[in-house]
Formats: sequence, C-alpha cells, structure tokens
Amino acid sequence: MSLLTVQDLRVSIGGKSILTDIDLSVEAGKVLGIVGESGSGKSMTAYSIMRLLPDGSEQNGKVILDGTELTSLSEEQMCQVRGRRIGMVFQEPMTALNPLHTIGDQIAETVKIHTNTSRSEARRITLDTLRRVELPPEEFPPSRYPHELSGGQRQRVVIAMAIALRPQLLIADEPTTALDVTTQAQLLHLLKRLVDDDQMGLVLISHDLAVIASTADDIAVMRNGVVVESGSTDVVFNHMQHPYTRELMKASGHVPQKLASTAEVTSPLLVVKDLVRDYKVARKGVFDKVSFFRAVDEVSFTIYRGENVGLVGESGCGKSTLTRAILGLEDIQSGSVSLDGEFVIANEVMSLSSRRKMQVVFQDPYGSFNPRHTVGRLVAEPLHALAIQPDRRARERAVHEVLARVGLQASDGEKYIHEFSGGQRQRIAIARALINRPSLIILDEAVSALDVSIRAQILDLLVELAASDDIAYLFISHDLSVVRSFTDRVLVMKDGRIVEEGETETVFRSPSHPYTKSLIAAAPTPPKVAH
Amino acid sequence: MIRYLARRLLSLALTLLVASVIIFLIIEVVPGDTASLMLGVNADEETRLALREELGLDVSKPVRYVNWVSGMLTGDFGISYTYRTPVSEMIADRMMVSFPLALYALALSTLIAFPAGIIAATKRGSFSDVSIMGVTQLGVAIPNFWFAMILVTIFAIKLRWFSAGGFPGWEAGFFAGLKSLTLPAIALALPQASILARVMRSSLLDTLGEDFIRTARAKGLSARQALWGHALRNALIPVLTIIGLQFSFLLAGAIIIENIFFLPGLGRMIFQAITQRDLIVVESVVMLLVFAVVAVTFLVDIAYAVVDPRLRRRV
Repeated sequence: MSLLTVQDLRVSIGGKSILTDIDLSVEAGKVLGIVGESGSGKSMTAYSIMRLLPDGSEQNGKVILDGTELTSLSEEQMCQVRGRRIGMVFQEPMTALNPLHTIGDQIAETVKIHTNTSRSEARRITLDTLRRVELPPEEFPPSRYPHELSGGQRQRVVIAMAIALRPQLLIADEPTTALDVTTQAQLLHLLKRLVDDDQMGLVLISHDLAVIASTADDIAVMRNGVVVESGSTDVVFNHMQHPYTRELMKASGHVPQKLASTAEVTSPLLVVKDLVRDYKVARKGVFDKVSFFRAVDEVSFTIYRGENVGLVGESGCGKSTLTRAILGLEDIQSGSVSLDGEFVIANEVMSLSSRRKMQVVFQDPYGSFNPRHTVGRLVAEPLHALAIQPDRRARERAVHEVLARVGLQASDGEKYIHEFSGGQRQRIAIARALINRPSLIILDEAVSALDVSIRAQILDLLVELAASDDIAYLFISHDLSVVRSFTDRVLVMKDGRIVEEGETETVFRSPSHPYTKSLIAAAPTPPKVAH
Repeated sequence: MIRYLARRLLSLALTLLVASVIIFLIIEVVPGDTASLMLGVNADEETRLALREELGLDVSKPVRYVNWVSGMLTGDFGISYTYRTPVSEMIADRMMVSFPLALYALALSTLIAFPAGIIAATKRGSFSDVSIMGVTQLGVAIPNFWFAMILVTIFAIKLRWFSAGGFPGWEAGFFAGLKSLTLPAIALALPQASILARVMRSSLLDTLGEDFIRTARAKGLSARQALWGHALRNALIPVLTIIGLQFSFLLAGAIIIENIFFLPGLGRMIFQAITQRDLIVVESVVMLLVFAVVAVTFLVDIAYAVVDPRLRRRV
C-alpha cells in the first residue's frame, strides 16, 4: 500500500473550481514529481494535503496518509499531523523564516509543539537536525538569525524544521526555484539523501522539467487543475501520451529559430573597458579604515551590432552591478562604457543618445511598471529621451505600432497593467524597450519568471525583432539551457570578473575554466524528447 | 548593539542642539521689548534698564544663548517674568499633572487598541471587524474637545461620578488624583486608540500574510499559536512608531483638554505664558517638550532593536 494516496480530490475557492479529480500516490522512500505551469494547481494540491487552503475554499475527496484519512480529522488533530507526520518546504527561502527568531529556536519549535521533550533534548535534536541538513553547528550555531544566512542556507533551515521529527512525508513546493544552479544541485542531492536515509516519501513540485526528470521516480503532469498524465518518470518521458506533456517538453527545450541578421557583426556596438565598481564596506568601529568591496573587477568586453551575448554567473557575482553600470545607473571607479563610439556617461551625465539607443527589460514584469499609469503611457515613457519631442499624435502612433509589433492590440494601450497576464506584461516591457528603436536591449533575467510555453513565445519574438530591427541583446540569465539556445556568444562571470568568454556552443561543449565546468555540471539537463 | 545605541545618542544630542538654536532665534525674532512690556507704557527709562539687567537681557545675543543653554544643563531655567518664580519649579509642578495624564491616556489607548486591532485582524470581514473599523473611524473623526464636553455632560453633570474639572493635587491621595484625570485621559485616548487600533489591524494583517506564518502553520502550530508566537512581535514594529509619536503628542498636545478640565498642566502653562508674553517660560517649556519628543524617539529606537535582531547590527 502507498504511503500517501490522494483520491478524487476536488477543491474550489469561492465556488470556482481549482482542482478536479486529482489522483496521486506516493511510496515510502520514493519521489513523486508534480510538474506544471503556473496556475495548474500544483501548490493547491500540496496545500490540500496539508489542509492549509485559503479561507473560503471547499475540499472534497480522500487524502490517506499511511491508513489515516486526513480529510476526516479535526483541525486540532490536523495540527498534530503537520510538522510531525508531514513536513513542508516552500519556494521563497528569504521570507519563509521568521526574521525575529533564531534558527535554532525555529527548528526546536517543531520539536516542542509535538513532543514533551526537555529543553536539552530539544536542543540535541536541533543540533542533530542541523547536521542532517549539512549545516554543521560549529559553523552555523543555532543562535544565528535568518538574515545572517544565504538563500541556500536558509532553505536548509526550512528543510531542517520540516524534517526535525522525521516525518513520513515531505512536500517541497518549488524548493530550489529561487536559488542558483549549484545551490539547487546541492539541495536536490540533500533531499534525495534524506528520502533514502529515512525512507521518507517526497512530493517535489516544480515548473522545471529538468529538475523533476533528474530527481523524481514517478511524475504527474498537471494542467488547469487536472492531472493530465502520470506514471513512472521513464515511462512518462519516453511514451508521452498526452499532447500537453509533449507540448510542455517541446517548449522547455525550445530553440528559437535564428534568422539571418542583416547587420555586419563586425562593427562594435557596446564597448566595456576595464570597468571597476567598488562599494564602500561599512566600518566596524569608528576608527577602522574604510575598506572596499570590488563588485566589478576590471571587466572588458565588446558586443557587436546585432549580436546576441549571454552573461551567466551565480547571484552575487556582480552581474546586476555590471548591468547597472552599463546602463549608467552606477558610479564607476575606473574604466569606461561606450555605445556606438560615444561614452555613455560623459561629464557625469548620461548622454541622450545613449539613453535612446540602450534599453532594458527586467525579470519582474509586474514590479517594473507603475500600476496607476495606462499601458500607453508606460510604453511611451522612453520617448522623453528623444532630442525632439513628438507631438501627441505621433506619440500615439508610435505606441500603437510597437504594441502591434509585440503582438498586442492598439486598444491595449488604454488598459492598466494588472489586466494582463505575465507573458503579456513582458511583451509590454519589450514594447517599451522598442519604442525608441534601440540598438541594444539588455534582458536582465527577462524570461526567468515565465512559464516554459510563454518563454518559448517570448524568445521567438525577441529573435524576430533582432532580425528585423538589427538589435543586439545582452542576455543575463541563471538558466543555462536558455542561454545556450538563445545566444551566440557567452560571458561567464565569477567574483566580479569575466572568467570565460567564447562562442556559446564551444563554451558549453568544452568549458575551459573550472568554474564554468562546475556550473554546467550542476545545471539539470532536460530529458531527451522521444519523437 | 552598543554601536547602534551610541549612534542614536549622538543624533539625539545633535537634534537637541539644533532645536535649541531654532527656538532661541524664533523667540528673539518676536518684536517688542520684554521689560517695557512688563512695566507698561508709563515706566521710566531707568527702571526699564534695571529690569533688563535683572532679566539678563542686557548682554549680546550669543552670550544670552550660551547662558540659557548652560543654565538648562544645570537645571536652572531662569525666572518667570510674570510670576518671578524659578521656571524649573513651575515646570516640575506642572509635570506632576501632564506626565501622569499622558501616561494614563497612553495606557488606556494601548489597552483598547491592542485587543481591538487583534480581533479585527484575526476575524477579518466578520461583524466584530466591521464594527471595530466603524467605531475607530468615528473615533478618528470626532474632535477630542467635543468628546470631552460630552463626557463632562454625561459623567460629571448628569451622573455626578466625576468632577467636571480641576485637580486636587497628589497630596489628596493617589486615587483622588487619578480620578480627576480619568475623564481627560479618556477624551485624549479615544482618537489615539482609534488610530492605534487601525495601525495594529493593518500591520497584523500584513504579517499574517507573510510566508513565515505559512511555515509556522506547516510545522503544526494552530492559527492561534502562529498569531501569538510569530505574527504579533513582527506586527509590533510599526505600532511602536505610532506609540512613540502619540506619547510626545499627548505630553504637549493636551492644551485644549487641560483648558476644558482646568488642569494645571504644561499645556495650560504654555498657553498662559504666551498670552502674558512670559517668553522665558515659553522658551523653556518648548525646549523641554522637544527634549521629551527626542527622548521618546530614542526609547522607541531601543525598543526596535530589542524587537528586531536585524537592527542590532545595522550600520
């Protein structure tokens, strides 16, 4: 008999059906991967098992954990199941811990509310659990606060809280999505080990097919609140029955069809030369010497017209600082950035022509827009950088034209940003970048937050625009498979320096720097699609 | 932590210095000679000069500023022009009323606001939430002097539970004193409690929506345990800011209420001193109030650091 059986699970919130007839089962010591795009109901399935659905939701069907029918338990009895028999880990490690309590207290809390152990015994279990999640207490004493740890370390603390009492089942909802590839690989390895050690069942939820494929024994593919396909990982990946599974697979490995660019790729567009950015480090005492942290360390590279250059590296490597420095948003200590033969910053002022020729698209398609302005106004904003201001009519015409180019309607200009989906918002961001006919667009994790099918569409759009408008891209991403399929050349950054640079395929096939090698090794590889 | 405190203390001292200069300059700008004002139009020149010398007005402005500040540092606030008694004694007398009144009102406001805010947030959308929000809306809107008069009409005139005004002094006994401060304290507390309850509610609602509350629930804490163990302390940070602001406001801002209830407090004193052009009193009381505001802010800063470990290391 399975450890966890979910039968005919139905959930509706405020009368709206969210999950329909979900059937799942998890074996002890095995990993069930649930994969699907945003809104498919993956997280809601997890919350239904935990019975932690938002207020106003209605849940029907059976959830049986090792002979206990969870749906018939009272809230009080359910509290005893959560944390003791089922543990749960969430996506956002930065906010999943209470900032005001030490990590030791938070781990010990799990022990204290479920058992009558003494203080010293709870402490012993806490230290032991820290060791199990590979945070040795000698290095990470339980007296630490969450803000003193990195994202990956915090996620280990969240896992420690979930597994302190050795639950039978662990549910991990996108546990590595917010983390770097190398951290992701380590955490997946840790989860696997815990499953093997304790013969625990694991439900691993992810939007990333590659993560699921490399970790799960069985998988369930979800879409619109329904499990469309399930079975053992091998079988599902090799004999995909459902068209949606095939579509998802194709989209995740999507390689945008490169179109021949009309530009000669020999004339340099962006030249970054010996760029240095230092940050002042806060002094510990009043009389300490001022010290500096070098975020960008003598970086030089060139992007040619119409070229597509990738920039990869882990968080904290200086990618974002470099991007901001190129955009003229950071003071630089030495070196230079020039665009089209002209310094971007001259006499401490950013030249108007650089502002026009260089645009940026950020990761968060919602956060980068003022929600109180119409889309038309948002898209027209960069027109301020033109030397001659267009009149109202010309402005409107320009907005309609770029909206049409990114696949939206002219009437969308009247709407507000909350009326659009994530993919459409990113199209609007691209429209805003396009309106001044730039020669370079910096894509800062621009497709990272999008679902695979939407991501494929946006990548196609970008390639199309590059060819017709002769645009060069600086494509910054932590997702190596996208960088590999999208860019011509790639820069690998570590500790503020470019450690490797070369043609994308060459670098990925035969990386020469050890860091590049470790990055590529850590990245989960998408399963091969059987045609 | 020590660094954090040292920084806060330094900024406290600087604020006081700047405030003292500004207050001194403003008082200096006020036209009219204090001595001739005190003596009336018919006074002869010799008496006027003698009085100026007695009041310490005959020296240059920078010297007067230094005298004033150094006097305050040693507890000497000068002599009141009107009453010819040391200002420090007058302030000390008045503080015996104003300080307990502010504390009393703040205690009432907190005692009402915390439960109201917590109930409203945890039972969002329920009847209790809607009624609490309605009442606090009213509480913010009603002017406190009007509410004070209503209180007097009901509890002093109709029911005769309290006296309509005056203060018997603490010599009359602690409870007699407290009793006479009760109606003013309620009148002062109502708008404060309303604001505080609303802040508490919205802050708690924000915190209850945080990811770490979900984590706590997944650990097996009941909704109640998660509220008390994890949400409340986090929600307290904005609430502390408001409490700090309210205390300084209550200390200084009770002018109207003290007048309605004939309470010999600081507010009434400053009001009278202004009408009598007793500038030395005005100067000193204003400075004292600035000190109170800055000191309370400092205490709130310490409270932040106690509540939030992230602040202890902040530079």
